Amino acid sequence: MYVPENQADLLLYIDKHQAGFQLIANGSDLINRIQRRQVNPKVLVDLTGLKELSYVKKENGTFRIGAMTTISELVACPLFDSQYGAFRDVAKKFGGPSIVNVATVGGNVCSASSSEDLLPLLLVLNAQVRLRSIKGDRVMRVEEFLKEKRVVDLNPNEIMVEAVFPEIDRDSRCAFEKVGMRNSLITAFVNCAVYLKLAKKTMQIEEIRIAFNRLNRKIPGRAKNTEEKMLRQTLDEKCLAAAIVTLKNELQLTSDFRASQEYRVEVACAIFKRTVTKCAEELAGEKLRV
Amino acid sequence: MSKHLLKFNVNGKDYALVVQSHERLLDVLRDRLGLKGTKEGCGTGDCGICGVLMDGKLVNSCLIFAIQARNKKITTIEGVGTAENLHPIQRALMKWNAAQCGYCIPAVILATKNLLDRNPNPTDDDIKQATSGILCRCTGYLKIFDAVKTAAAEMREAR
Amino acid sequence: MVEDRAAVATLIQKQKMLYVGKSVGRVDSLDKVLGRPIYTMDIVPENVLYLKVVRSKVAHALLKRVDLTEARNYPGVTAVVTAQDIPGINESAALLPDKPLFATNKVRFAGEPIAAIASYDSSIAEEAVDLVKIDYEPLQSIFSPVEALNPNAPKLHEKGNIAKHMKVRKGNVDEGFRQADLIVEGTYKTPFQDPVPLEPETGFVIPEPDGSVTCVGSMQSPFHVQTGIAKILSLRPEQVRVIQAATGGAFGPKSDEMPVDVLGMAALVAVRTRKPAALAYTREESMIGHTKRHPFVTTLKVGVKKNGKLTAWEAKLVADTGAYASLGPLVVIRACFHATGPYVIPNVKTDSYCVYTNNTMAGSFRGFGGPQAHFAAESHMDEIAKKLSMDPVDLRVLNMLRPGALMATSQLVDEGCGLEECVSRVVKESDWYGTREKFSKLTGPKKRGLGIAILYHGNSLGPEGSDFGTVHMQIDKDGTVRLRTALTEYGTGAPSALLQIAAETMCLPLEYFRLDPPDTDYCNDSGPTVASRTITIGGRATQMVAGKLNQKLKEIAGDILQTTGTEIESTSGTYYKKLHPEESIAFRDVVALAYSKGITLKEADTFTAPKCEYDPETSQGTTYLQFTYGAVTAEVEVDTETGRVQVLKMVTAYDVGKAINPVSVEGQIEGGTIQGLGYAIMEEMIHKDGVVVNPNLADYYIPTSLDVPEIKTIIVEYPGRLGPYGAKAIGEPPIVLPAPAIVNAIDNAIGVRISEIPATPDRVLTGYKRRAVQ
Repeated sequence: MYVPENQADLLLYIDKHQAGFQLIANGSDLINRIQRRQVNPKVLVDLTGLKELSYVKKENGTFRIGAMTTISELVACPLFDSQYGAFRDVAKKFGGPSIVNVATVGGNVCSASSSEDLLPLLLVLNAQVRLRSIKGDRVMRVEEFLKEKRVVDLNPNEIMVEAVFPEIDRDSRCAFEKVGMRNSLITAFVNCAVYLKLAKKTMQIEEIRIAFNRLNRKIPGRAKNTEEKMLRQTLDEKCLAAAIVTLKNELQLTSDFRASQEYRVEVACAIFKRTVTKCAEELAGEKLRV
Repeated sequence: MSKHLLKFNVNGKDYALVVQSHERLLDVLRDRLGLKGTKEGCGTGDCGICGVLMDGKLVNSCLIFAIQARNKKITTIEGVGTAENLHPIQRALMKWNAAQCGYCIPAVILATKNLLDRNPNPTDDDIKQATSGILCRCTGYLKIFDAVKTAAAEMREAR
Repeated sequence: MVEDRAAVATLIQKQKMLYVGKSVGRVDSLDKVLGRPIYTMDIVPENVLYLKVVRSKVAHALLKRVDLTEARNYPGVTAVVTAQDIPGINESAALLPDKPLFATNKVRFAGEPIAAIASYDSSIAEEAVDLVKIDYEPLQSIFSPVEALNPNAPKLHEKGNIAKHMKVRKGNVDEGFRQADLIVEGTYKTPFQDPVPLEPETGFVIPEPDGSVTCVGSMQSPFHVQTGIAKILSLRPEQVRVIQAATGGAFGPKSDEMPVDVLGMAALVAVRTRKPAALAYTREESMIGHTKRHPFVTTLKVGVKKNGKLTAWEAKLVADTGAYASLGPLVVIRACFHATGPYVIPNVKTDSYCVYTNNTMAGSFRGFGGPQAHFAAESHMDEIAKKLSMDPVDLRVLNMLRPGALMATSQLVDEGCGLEECVSRVVKESDWYGTREKFSKLTGPKKRGLGIAILYHGNSLGPEGSDFGTVHMQIDKDGTVRLRTALTEYGTGAPSALLQIAAETMCLPLEYFRLDPPDTDYCNDSGPTVASRTITIGGRATQMVAGKLNQKLKEIAGDILQTTGTEIESTSGTYYKKLHPEESIAFRDVVALAYSKGITLKEADTFTAPKCEYDPETSQGTTYLQFTYGAVTAEVEVDTETGRVQVLKMVTAYDVGKAINPVSVEGQIEGGTIQGLGYAIMEEMIHKDGVVVNPNLADYYIPTSLDVPEIKTIIVEYPGRLGPYGAKAIGEPPIVLPAPAIVNAIDNAIGVRISEIPATPDRVLTGYKRRAVQ
């Protein structure tokens, strides 16, 4: 194991070696996969000493979250006011205290799988990741960063240093929902994050972004066809019904021993409807009939 | 696998020992320090039975490499109370006969002690959330909840 | 057995008891809350050999070649053992001799042990497992028990695929169906349920210099383990010392083959290498390798009159026992006897089958056939009620067992039957009629329902084996009263309750009493710690032995006070003359005197329950000596958009005869209820081609603290004929009713009959959508 004391040492190391190592944050399932000899990285590079990567800042209308920030630190941050309740929704169903205390934002993003609950929310917030190497930084959208299950667009000499997303407008909200077999330690059948900007008086959808833990691949993705369908529509029952028709076509989910494909599609549509409604209700400040 | 010098504090005592890179915190606590109170229930972070407090936060010791605990303060069940000086939660669990097979109890005690240290008047929901990552197969959790309420009352009284 | 129960009941009520009936603390609590090293792997010393098991990856195949050469030569590997290293008999089977310890030429389930590799470094042993090369020649496999019943199905065992067929025949069902106004049929399915003890199976063996072995492990039945290990090692039982370490949960499977598998493999290594050897199953291995609850497919055909009176009950229960029978034959016997539910039915025809397949093994698990039988019976009763437009409670009240009635086995229900009170109290507490009325008016996507289920549960082994319990007691010089028995503690709190009974019998302070660990060197066989026998059978033995010891103490006291033992009374450690109570002597002094005179203060005795006599062809007769009764209601909320079911509130009432320790009884009831809730809505071990696809706690879901409903527990006491103070079994019954109560509540909420559990969101939503379409 290599234990860097600071970013500079780390960047030098990974630039020098380029291969044969695995970056580790905290409490990941990597340790179990090593124990079961499913993976055998030659060197583990422990990032937990990089305290400077643990932060939540708001600068110039942009949130910047350090990659080593834990989910519990994220949720406890006072910078997230009620507009960002979705983060609390994510944390609440993330797993018990022992999981949110160690799971990191960077770990979540770079694990690139449908069981990383933060990803759908980051996708609808139009988040980007900042990647750093000894040669400098580059920034890219989370959507592009996720290539396939467990594979991200990270060069061998790079680390993810932060996730950034713009502040959301006053008349917008985001929400998150997750459905699994029980109320804690949930392996999700489906989870959904929505960002909604609504013109209050007309209830016209000015902006909408929808993401699921799986859309048509084994990684989180945005339901862009459905988003397009809903844009500039008036948010009402008819609109949601039409959106669901599009969504059902857009979702390409599979059956496995946990749940059938039909069920997952049904529930995805149900929680899509609920998260959109929740956003709208929070904006309107009253119970909506949708 | 490389070797590293691990310096950390466990239950108020400083340790310096050489650990392997792939050694888990759970194994170092049990096998190197002889603190057998922390148990292994699954090895995959799905049951919470291996829970310990690391710098005051509940963590699954089966998912943490020992070297990642460097310079941290660890509390295991052995650091909570003694036979002569039980922590209120330990006394309360005994009162309610809430330790059935006992295997989840060390993790439950650390999780609930942590809760009570921060929140002297926890709601039912707070108690459920605090224990939500620990699986218990014997009790159905209810007597554990009762014990936390009893301990909380005792701790509030003592203040 | 006490004959005049009415007199006993009065006596019990009149008696002011010091310890029995009180919620006193358990003797094992302190060690547990301090996290003391009391479990097997806590006491294994450094420098022992660790085993890893080589297991079949295929469900049913001939082993053409098993090449262990590379594994044997792998640096750090100390020993490799297979069937060829067994000095005795290659067998580890709990009932029928159908299962080897190590597979030789054939494997019958994916996960069956083939060899074990030992090293001082467990990761080296694990790496060596990967080096074992096995050539399988697949055989035709069966994964469905119904398929296995087919006469053309391949024979998985020499004697065929049916390990047991049990029958109940009462009256004439054809006649009963003729008398019926309505006949209702239904099929019900239950899954493999994993016990998930939080401590997986563990064992540790020390080879002793004299050729004997000492075995320490996580187990329920030390003497079964002793017999099993002795057979494997070709030793006399006296040469195998078995000590039960603190056991982190058991629920039945640790009384089956597993402890013998684990300790047997470790013992082979220990004996070969002359070094201590330990084996701890990983969670995955545990979930694949240990016995689980039998999945049942139950078909019911029931005749009923317009007014709701049952006339005929025909049941066929098919249990998948997996590759080896384990205690399957006994499970189907119990299921057979309970297949009608607790009702009066003049004509009954039940057939239960224990069937082999190539799935992993099913065996003992809390409830032991009761959950499966009642899931079918109690779901079906609601279906009948629906068809008759009768309230489910009213239908049950009309037909349920009461004193003087005859069961399906024609056993007479005696006065120790609290079923009626259990039912009326849950009906009242849940506000049955009012709540259902209220729920029927709810609108919105979240619907609520209230359901009920009732049970009877034959206590102790009944027909399942010879039912005896042995207790030893002795008093040390310092006045400590020690109780020793092979009945084990693994979470129930029952052994602690034996001390309460002893203290009560001897009128001595409970603090004087100690429970010694179960050790075959120091106590006699007490039968397995299963079937909730510890208090019913062990408690009777305790009363006998404590009584004898007490008698002795009184005689010694009488001697000193110059009278006879019969003239001595005792309270709280003081022995005094009945007629002159000022003349007394303290307990400690009596003990000291006994020691000085060379009188041994040691007694032991065995309580053997009367044998249950019944006709083996019709099961008519006495199947159990006493019954526990119970009723449970469940209030659920069904989310009709996601199919998720939340259990909001449950009311449970059990006739426990006499609660020796009420808070412990509640703890057992609550724990069993939640385990039953898991069975109802989320637990399912899934096999694909015989391979378990979810042998881990991420994909096999047991209830968390956030899944727990409000539970109101009501303890009802109608003393039974068997247990001490009339105490009845309560360890197992609580797991039986949550599934049918919850499934009935779901039906009440959304009009969907979930006839296959678990009632997963997928099944619930699918059922709801289907109904909405109709």
